[in-house]
Amino acid sequence: MDSRDTILKKLKANKPEFIALPKINPAVFDENIDKVKEFIRKTEVAGGKVFEVTDNKEVLSKTQEAFPETKVNFSNLDDSGFFNTIDSESFKNPHELNDLDVLVLESTLGVAENGAVWLTDNDIPVRVIPFITKHLVLVLPKENIVPYMHQAYSAINPMDLDYGIFISGPSKTADIEQSLVIGAQGAMSLTVFLK
Amino acid sequence: MSHSKLAGIFNKDEKKVDWHDKALWFVRHKRDLSVHQVKGWEELRNLGHGIKAHTLSHLDVYLEQFEANALKNGVQVHWAANGDEHNQIVHSILKADNAKKVVKSKSMLTEECHLNPFLEANDIEVIDTDLGERIVQLAKEKPSHIVLPAIHKNKLEVDELFQEHLGTEPCDGDPQYLTGEARKHLREKFIHADAAITGVNFAIAENGGFVVCTNEGNADMGAHLAPIHIACMGVEKIIPKQEHLGVFLRLLARSATGQPITTYSSHFRKPGKGVKMHIVIVDNGRSKQLSRPDFRASLHCIRCGACMNTCPIYRRSGGHSYDATIPGPIGSILSPGKDLTKYSTLPFASTLCGSCSDVCPVKIDIHTQLYKWRQIIGKETPQPFIKKKSMAAMGKIFSKPSLYGKVGAVARWALRTLPKSLINAWPNIWGKTRDLPVGPKKSFDQWYKERENNKKTDQK
Repeated sequence: MDSRDTILKKLKANKPEFIALPKINPAVFDENIDKVKEFIRKTEVAGGKVFEVTDNKEVLSKTQEAFPETKVNFSNLDDSGFFNTIDSESFKNPHELNDLDVLVLESTLGVAENGAVWLTDNDIPVRVIPFITKHLVLVLPKENIVPYMHQAYSAINPMDLDYGIFISGPSKTADIEQSLVIGAQGAMSLTVFLK
Repeated sequence: MSHSKLAGIFNKDEKKVDWHDKALWFVRHKRDLSVHQVKGWEELRNLGHGIKAHTLSHLDVYLEQFEANALKNGVQVHWAANGDEHNQIVHSILKADNAKKVVKSKSMLTEECHLNPFLEANDIEVIDTDLGERIVQLAKEKPSHIVLPAIHKNKLEVDELFQEHLGTEPCDGDPQYLTGEARKHLREKFIHADAAITGVNFAIAENGGFVVCTNEGNADMGAHLAPIHIACMGVEKIIPKQEHLGVFLRLLARSATGQPITTYSSHFRKPGKGVKMHIVIVDNGRSKQLSRPDFRASLHCIRCGACMNTCPIYRRSGGHSYDATIPGPIGSILSPGKDLTKYSTLPFASTLCGSCSDVCPVKIDIHTQLYKWRQIIGKETPQPFIKKKSMAAMGKIFSKPSLYGKVGAVARWALRTLPKSLINAWPNIWGKTRDLPVGPKKSFDQWYKERENNKKTDQK
């Protein structure tokens, strides 16, 4: 018998009698929070910045204002031609994205209770890009902010997901004497534009 | 070596112990502030407990479902009965593609299986990419905490290590500078890696996907750049459905560091372009632990480390004193299940105060299990001569009130009269770091009776 069958047989023999699966009732946790306010507060606690804007044009102009000196920029918003210094050709070899300075991506889901923004393969041209970039800029429609993780997972179809990620704030570590340092292995800053 | 002996080594540097104690208590405090903001926190813990208990009662079924779905997703699934088989599987995957350079994000399971030394012996470079793990790797040590692997090291030690291994400038332990240098060093490793190994926080039966949580982004940097991604998981990491992540991701980071969620919560399901994805499912003693009704709830653990941060023993003895991959209270109920003799002192490394059970996000009855292990260990493993004899003597004294009274009188007299050198002499280990109080003239019993008599006299 191979290990697979041995393990499964042992688990079957050793498991306790069947215990019912509890139901999650999200109403128990509901505090009727102001979703936008809470999202902004939690993103800032996580080390990110939040700005409210009217459209994508404003996103790009504000991004340029915030990062005036950067050499390598990419945005997947519509009409980003003037902003982009690289095109989709560059994604063929992601290893060469190491000098990417600013990346702008659009998300369709955010979570108020923890400032997490959801991205999937549909939102990112290549998986490594939100991590390898120096600065990450995310655009999120206000009406797509849900209060808690329970509502977030209701909005995600588990059978239609190849890869997805919740990002809350910039990459960070406190592994040296518990001193918080922003910018560990991933993005060194996170800016979220709510529109 | 026993826990108390190893704790003694850690306690030689008193200043460091004080810092360690306070730093971890601060993390515990951050956890409190964070969870008190969540309405229905106790209900969330009940759900965490209930979902895990249900899953364990159906574990074989969910694992098979997970495997079938992962295969459909284009992921290869491997099964390992023990650590050796796990290491061999990982090695054979690497060997098939001639992978020589591996980056690894945090995985307590691969620590448990001693994967690094195995791969290194086979001429494969393994770089731990979590900053704390990289620090302990450079120091040729093991993590002393499951969430804060280098909590036992101070910044000057890190400074020296980086000077030696990464060629950094002396910086008086500046964390900002040292983290920046580590980032550059690890970027090189990520770019040139042939394969990435990650752990698994949660594996989802209904869709064959799995979730990895990090603050640094190191798991994703590795997994997306390397052409091979190997994810290693214990059988107990499974949860039935994606919706259950809503419960566990709300519990995990708040309990671990007080953050409402980790910076990155990555949901892997299908391999990216040009990437081969493997999952290794490991038993290594877990099915045995599942067979023990008193201890199976230890398999609920989601590895947040809250029980370590709150434990008065762990904070003052350090993670290495447990001499096990998972230290602290949860480690002390997991380890004896693997080797009762080797880990026989761990369940005694506790005051049984119950704080661990109070903070556990999935409501494991940790302190009750510690007590239950003590009963088993007392019967099944040889106990120190002095402990055995003194316990037997205590048993006699406590069972006979007249004898208790006499011994008490002698003890009070001794504490008043005998010199400290005699009272604190071996074998009284309590006297090692503290003095016993001066013996009172009266026993509590005598004092109480006199007080009652006086009351009656007053009333008359």
